[in-house]
Amino acid sequence: METPRPMLEADGLTKRYEDGNLALDHVSFDVYPGQVYAMLGGNGAGKTTAINLFLNFIEPTDGEARVDGIATHKEPLKAKEKLAYVSENVMLYPNFTALQNLDFFARLGGNTKYSKDDYRQVLLRVGLEEEAHNRRLKGYSKGMRQKCGIAISILKNAPAILLDEPTSGLDPKAAVEFIRLLESLREEGKAILMSTHDIFRAKEVADVVGIMNEGNLVMQRSREELVGEDLEKLYVEYMTGYMDEVA
Amino acid sequence: MFRLLVEKELREIIGTTKFAVTFGVCSVLILLAFYVGARNFQVSQAEYEAARAENIKQMEGLTDWGRIDHRIFLPPQPLTTLVSGISNDIGRTTEMQTQGELRSENSRFNEDPIFAVFRFLDLEFIFSIVMSLFAILFAYDAINGEKERGTLRLSFANPVPRATYILSKLVGAFLALGVPLLIPILIGCVMLPLMGIPMTGSAWGRLAMVVLAGYLYLGVFLTLSVFVSALTEKSSNSFLLLLVIWIFAVLIIPRTAVLISGRAVDVPSIDKVNYDKNRYMAQLWLEDREKMQNYSRENPPSQDGDMQAWMDDFRAFMSELSDVRNEKMSDFGGRLNEERRNRELVQQRLALGIARLSPTSVFSLASTDLSGTSLDLKERYIEAANRYQETYAQFIREKTGSAGGFMFTMRGGQDEEEPPPIDPYELPVFEYEEPSSTTLINDSLFDLGLLVLFNIVFFAGAFVAFLRYDVR
Ligand SMILES: Nc1ncnc2c1ncn2[C@@H]1O[C@H](COP(=O)(O)OP(=O)(O)OP(=O)(O)O)[C@@H](O)[C@H]1O
Ligand SMILES: [Mg+2]
Repeated sequence: METPRPMLEADGLTKRYEDGNLALDHVSFDVYPGQVYAMLGGNGAGKTTAINLFLNFIEPTDGEARVDGIATHKEPLKAKEKLAYVSENVMLYPNFTALQNLDFFARLGGNTKYSKDDYRQVLLRVGLEEEAHNRRLKGYSKGMRQKCGIAISILKNAPAILLDEPTSGLDPKAAVEFIRLLESLREEGKAILMSTHDIFRAKEVADVVGIMNEGNLVMQRSREELVGEDLEKLYVEYMTGYMDEVA
Repeated sequence: MFRLLVEKELREIIGTTKFAVTFGVCSVLILLAFYVGARNFQVSQAEYEAARAENIKQMEGLTDWGRIDHRIFLPPQPLTTLVSGISNDIGRTTEMQTQGELRSENSRFNEDPIFAVFRFLDLEFIFSIVMSLFAILFAYDAINGEKERGTLRLSFANPVPRATYILSKLVGAFLALGVPLLIPILIGCVMLPLMGIPMTGSAWGRLAMVVLAGYLYLGVFLTLSVFVSALTEKSSNSFLLLLVIWIFAVLIIPRTAVLISGRAVDVPSIDKVNYDKNRYMAQLWLEDREKMQNYSRENPPSQDGDMQAWMDDFRAFMSELSDVRNEKMSDFGGRLNEERRNRELVQQRLALGIARLSPTSVFSLASTDLSGTSLDLKERYIEAANRYQETYAQFIREKTGSAGGFMFTMRGGQDEEEPPPIDPYELPVFEYEEPSSTTLINDSLFDLGLLVLFNIVFFAGAFVAFLRYDVR
């Protein structure tokens, strides 16, 4: 069912921050084209760290992250051509309209052929009403900005998409629409790596679910393996450390 | 890619209300600087003409060249009024005398204290405030602001080389701030001939160089702002830091430099020098009085002899005494002045050295050099006055047969007929010539070079800091 070569590969990925904090400890996983990989885990588990390593925002202490076979810390510019990214809490340019923001980032990603209509369509696709398209982003709500961020990642039209808590700030309706969007992107053959705290949606859309805890990948199951399982219960089991902390 | 980033930078800066407002205020200030400079020139020119006419007029009707009160005046120059430098502080009027030290008085501030208040509207001052604040206001968050908005992460999720990014930042910000400012500057330039300011080619050239220096200065604060924003994580921090730097550069360093050098190098005050001179003079007088007494004791006028002959001898003796005394006095005074001048130069050099830590001082020095209103102006004026003094003394000698000084004019009886009135227009005309543009530009090169150096250093700093910047 999957093509033999993974689009995103974490290979013994390790990150120890300058302050000695071991944020990621030899984590390995693969995401294939047409697959949605949901990364679950408590705050500080290492999800963002993993995504940042794929983007070469930080250098791995050990192991490597590869995009379509390219080690990101060796050839970052080449790897980034194949990556689209949605970060948590992106503000974008508050003095630009949605269309202007989209246009800038699309061009930055190398896509110069889009028309205004293309931008409008993508914005509608992520659930941003027409009325807002020509407004400056400083008047936007957090969720509206998030939608713009998602639209930007779609426009990049890259084979791999990294999503760091993409649904944070989205209302339930928008979150559902977002799941539909992910499904259609999967149809297009994108490899999608998503970190999230939303267990239910993760189970709904993910082909593979990984649970991280304190820098380790403590569980990884495919959709088939999860049939009939209670993901929330599993999550809590694997996250006892985190739950203790909260208590 | 580079173009895209520069364009984005332009749009991001220019498209804001903040920019519209700031730009409006800056434009008004710049235009005002030109206007006030031009008005200032008109007024100074009128005053100068009036003073000269008055000087001639008060001589009319006099019959004795030996008794005239002749003054010379430093003429205003178009650039001088735009970049006033020290031109308002130095005395512009010099009382001419055939020998002895010349003294200048009646500085602009002295005559017209309200004028001191308006000095802040001079082009150099406006530039030094406007350009630096403009740069800081729009570039303090160049890097860390992008980080705060998450756009830095998002941008670097694309294949963007860091060098391209930081270069485009600097170029974009420079264009976004510099090009709009050209508008009020150009309008200001057009205003000058319209207001009847006689701008020569040299003046235009040097004005262009002043503007260039202004842009270098803008570049200094721009690269500095980007540098600081690439060293900090939060834009609030970089803003605060830049504000502190600004206060030091614009307000504190230039003033402290003068204070520190004043403390470090002791220069005798003018009063002290004058006191010493007067004391020496008194001493010489005392000695001479004794000689005079001795003279009349040793050569008493013979009772029946020729009184006129005795008077002539006595006058010759007195004249000799006076010459010797004057020579001694001028030697002594010259030495004191030179000593003071040397100390002053040491102090000045120290002050300028310290002040040059601040790009604002450097800009100010460069632009006053270019406008001919640096500290050298005083020197040049004094030199020109001294040169004129020789011509003047020559002229008076020819007219009166004496170099003036202590003259005993023997007024004969009523039977002597009234001499004809003098023609004051015969007086040699005092022409103050501004040094050539080459000289002035050469004077400014060191400081222009320093501005370039500041740019390079901060540019390199911003570049390196950004290569290591955490874009997350
Ligand atoms: N720049 C940094 N320097 C030092 N430690 C860091 C740094 N960034 C993250 N960490 C640490 O690395 C660990 C993993 O952080 P990370 O941001 O990857 O967690 P996360 O799974 O994304 O959490 P969240 O769900 O809250 O987003 C945490 O312990 C965090 O304190
Ligand atoms: Mg995170």
